Amino acid sequence: MKRTTLAAIALAATASLGLTACAGAAGPAETADAGGKTTLSVSVWNYEGTPEFKALFDGYEAAHPDVNIEPVDILADDYPQKVTTMLAGGDTTDVLTMKNVTDYSRYANNGQLQEINSVVDSLDKDNLAGLDAFDLDGKYFAAPYRQDFWLLYYNKDLFKAAGLDEPKNITWDQYAELAKKLTGTAPDGKRVYGTYQHYWRSTVQAIAAAQNDGDLIGGDYSFAKDQYNMTLDLQKSGAMLDFGTAMSQKTSYRSMFETAQTAMMPMGSWYISGIVAAKQAGKTTVDWGLAQLPQKSAGGDTTTFGSPTAFAVNKNAKHSDEAKNFIEWASGAEGAKAIAKIGVVPALQTADVTAEYFKLPGLPTDELSKAAFSPDKTVLEMPVSDKSAATDKILTQEHELVMVGERSIDDGIAEMGKRVKDEVLK
Amino acid sequence: MATDTINPTPLRSQAPGTRRQGNRKQGNRKQARRNTLIGWTFILPNFLGFLAFTLIPVLAAFALAFMEWTSFSAPKWVGLANFERMLGSDSFWVALRNTLLYALGHVPLTLALALILAMLLNRKLKGIGFFRVAIFFPYITSLVAVAVVWNMLFSPDSGPINQFLQFVGVANPPGWTSSSDWAMPAVILTSVWRDMGYYMILYLAGLQAIPTELYEAAEVDGASAWQRFWNVTLPSLRPTTFFVVVMLTVSSFKVFDLIVVMTNGGPGRSTTVLSQLIYQEGIGEGKFGYSSAISLVLFLIVLTVTVLQFKLQQRRER
Amino acid sequence: MTNLTEDLRAEVAPGGTAGHERGLAERRSLRARRARTVNVVIYAVLVVLVAALLVPFLWMLSSSLKENNQVFTVPIQWIPEEFVWSNYSDIWTRIPMMGYLQNSLYLSVIITFLQVLTGSLAAYGFSKIRFPGRDVLFLGYIATIAVPWQAYMVPQYIMMQQLGLTNSFNALILLQAFGAFGVFLMRQYYMTIPDELCEAARIDGLSEYGIWARVILPLSKPALASLALLTFVNTWNDYMGPFIYLTSNRLWTVQLGLRSFVGQFDAEFAMIMTGSVISVVPILIIFLIGQRYFIQGIATSGMKG
Repeated sequence: MKRTTLAAIALAATASLGLTACAGAAGPAETADAGGKTTLSVSVWNYEGTPEFKALFDGYEAAHPDVNIEPVDILADDYPQKVTTMLAGGDTTDVLTMKNVTDYSRYANNGQLQEINSVVDSLDKDNLAGLDAFDLDGKYFAAPYRQDFWLLYYNKDLFKAAGLDEPKNITWDQYAELAKKLTGTAPDGKRVYGTYQHYWRSTVQAIAAAQNDGDLIGGDYSFAKDQYNMTLDLQKSGAMLDFGTAMSQKTSYRSMFETAQTAMMPMGSWYISGIVAAKQAGKTTVDWGLAQLPQKSAGGDTTTFGSPTAFAVNKNAKHSDEAKNFIEWASGAEGAKAIAKIGVVPALQTADVTAEYFKLPGLPTDELSKAAFSPDKTVLEMPVSDKSAATDKILTQEHELVMVGERSIDDGIAEMGKRVKDEVLK
Repeated sequence: MATDTINPTPLRSQAPGTRRQGNRKQGNRKQARRNTLIGWTFILPNFLGFLAFTLIPVLAAFALAFMEWTSFSAPKWVGLANFERMLGSDSFWVALRNTLLYALGHVPLTLALALILAMLLNRKLKGIGFFRVAIFFPYITSLVAVAVVWNMLFSPDSGPINQFLQFVGVANPPGWTSSSDWAMPAVILTSVWRDMGYYMILYLAGLQAIPTELYEAAEVDGASAWQRFWNVTLPSLRPTTFFVVVMLTVSSFKVFDLIVVMTNGGPGRSTTVLSQLIYQEGIGEGKFGYSSAISLVLFLIVLTVTVLQFKLQQRRER
Repeated sequence: MTNLTEDLRAEVAPGGTAGHERGLAERRSLRARRARTVNVVIYAVLVVLVAALLVPFLWMLSSSLKENNQVFTVPIQWIPEEFVWSNYSDIWTRIPMMGYLQNSLYLSVIITFLQVLTGSLAAYGFSKIRFPGRDVLFLGYIATIAVPWQAYMVPQYIMMQQLGLTNSFNALILLQAFGAFGVFLMRQYYMTIPDELCEAARIDGLSEYGIWARVILPLSKPALASLALLTFVNTWNDYMGPFIYLTSNRLWTVQLGLRSFVGQFDAEFAMIMTGSVISVVPILIIFLIGQRYFIQGIATSGMKG
């Protein structure tokens, strides 16, 4: 025993010494300022899995040979937590990517970001979707380069099999009707749902807010009533996987759609590049198409909701001018084309950019899909405010209770309003 | 105070005369100073690191409880404002209640199962290594896998648990994780299942320290298996049990990961616990002063429980 | 070393059991017969138990052999439609898995080593040497365990940043190697070791350091093994610590590497499960080595080294 203990300690010691030499062999070594180049650091999430960053950086470096961009790679899951901690420690990363507008408002209101009105003024403001979200009393602290919005994905084969027309310009009532008709059993015995609404509260609340001019941080949520009625009815009739199961089994919306378990699915435009990639890799055979998000009533404008992603300049940035220059490029036409090429929806929405987007191999080419890509109005998913985070928490909690059937819709809506007024707005 | 715990057994094999003479007799001041010095040399290597990297940040966090701080600018002194806000917040009381419920369920169940498992596995059996690993496995299985499989087992309509309950005649089996009333029991059961192997390891180590002579003597006295357990095993395990109880209590009050992955505090607020609140308020919303105030309260509760257990243990030892 | 312990023990324990040898022998033969039945029952219980314990792991294993969009299906599919063995070869090229494993191993080994060493030293001070203020200090020690990390993470990070230690292994080693856990565990174990052993050793002229090294350490192998095992596992599986302190990709650990399969809107769970299965293997090896120190048990003698 004595000898084995000693051996174990010796082993541990040698292992640790030996490892020191080769530990840290994982990724490429960091690049430093070299050869007169400026190194611009940019915080990103999941660099390998989010190709838009590489597309932007490569494009910018090609256009600006004197700049070398160094991504600060942070895991997507807890991105805001890490950025907050880093900034608290006085981090000097030049460009900070704003994953959502809630974090943006927190950083901006607390003076962590530089004002970049000069950059915004030089951009094509009229066509830059989502820019309004970053307007804090006339000051801009970030500029969007990407804007995702929601549309309806559908499985063309399942529609054909049921003898139904494509879901063009439908209302929510028609959507519910279609969903019930499309529900059934596939030839291989698998259950097929008419539609799948992911368990995020946005699939009910953000849609309702966008199409009814509702204010999600206003304290009155009666605007969501119809949408809840429709959703709960679908759930009850079995035309949609029930919320409790989806939530607790962590159901993946990609699995639902790519294994043809659902005929329709309202989802964000980010999934376009995902499903294109899955099809190209042979991981799914689904014949898919896009349609506009269903509307409250027929014949009007198409209103959907979405959320922009933006770049901002850190207050402690080492290279502020270069950082601003980068943002101007990324939010402009060249940046937009660089990401459109890989299937990511740019914030800049011009005919040029859309044309570039639909050049992507694997996109559906039918007219409906193209039309779906240009909604008339995109409302911000959650208003920019220092109250959004706290409100979001309450709305999520009450949403769950309504969806699992513990609260009636009316009680749930009343409780949301009461809690938001008591705990947030007071 | 006496630190020896093998003492309290009523068995004859003890050697009472030998203890407690040495130190007292030569307990002069010089000896005390020498002891202090030597004691500190043992403690110092760990203490220095502990002081610098844990204790100081902890004290800083406690100071923040009396300030307003967003982490981006200088903190501002606000006195007791954070505590006032906390006491008036519904979410705080809900989370406190849930945390206490969780601890009440998790601590005794895990303690009992860990001890039973350790007793069961503290023997020479073929393949015992395999069984020990297997019982430790839940602790090293990915949390996502744990959450998905247990949620499936708990599924209200089609889950095996409810099917079994219906089979044995329960007409309305609980909704488990999709019901506000039953989500907490479901989480507790899962966490007990996950943690018992971890604490079993600690008990296994504790069982090794019990001298065989004590059991042999007990057997000679004709003690039954139950009496041996009650009069030898349990008293000898007291220091280990103290450790396990304290660690279990602390980890129950700080529970975070499992709940986030399994129910994320839902449905509604039915499984939201204090550490989630601390996380949301601090990192989520940048109210670091407020989140520190909640941490301070959590700390005081756990400290009270620990000090009580410490006193209790010391009294038993005496 | 071991002999010394036994000698000391013999000095301390004055006979006691010698007169009862015959009674014991009779009981033992009776026990041997009963033991066999007991063993059968225990095996049965264990097999059922193990099955219940391993179900989520089986799900992990099965998911690691699926296409990503087959992982979260309703109802759960236990056997993959098609076994995607390529997940196990792809993961090494999709992410620098080997480097991540090395980093994890490096951190876990160093932290475990330091924790066991400094923990068992401090525990000796807290349990076998009496000096004023000892118990208060000890209570303060374990009290910090009660503070959730989320609460002091940011102050701690700021401090580390100012010391220029962030984004390095050193930060994590310094943070995690000197925790109260090891001190507490070892102190509780040392308290079960009779003080008479130390007294006898002192009379024999051993210094306190000698007693720690030659009497106490050899006796506390099971506790050392469990401390090492648990510290290793906790460091190996830690996510938040490395996430906050290790920014450069080349410093990442396995747990961080696996999370890089999580995107903003979805995740590649097949790959995550593949990586999780791989990352369990080192723990298994450590466990199987470490658990040998629990083997003596009641069946032989608790005190023999």
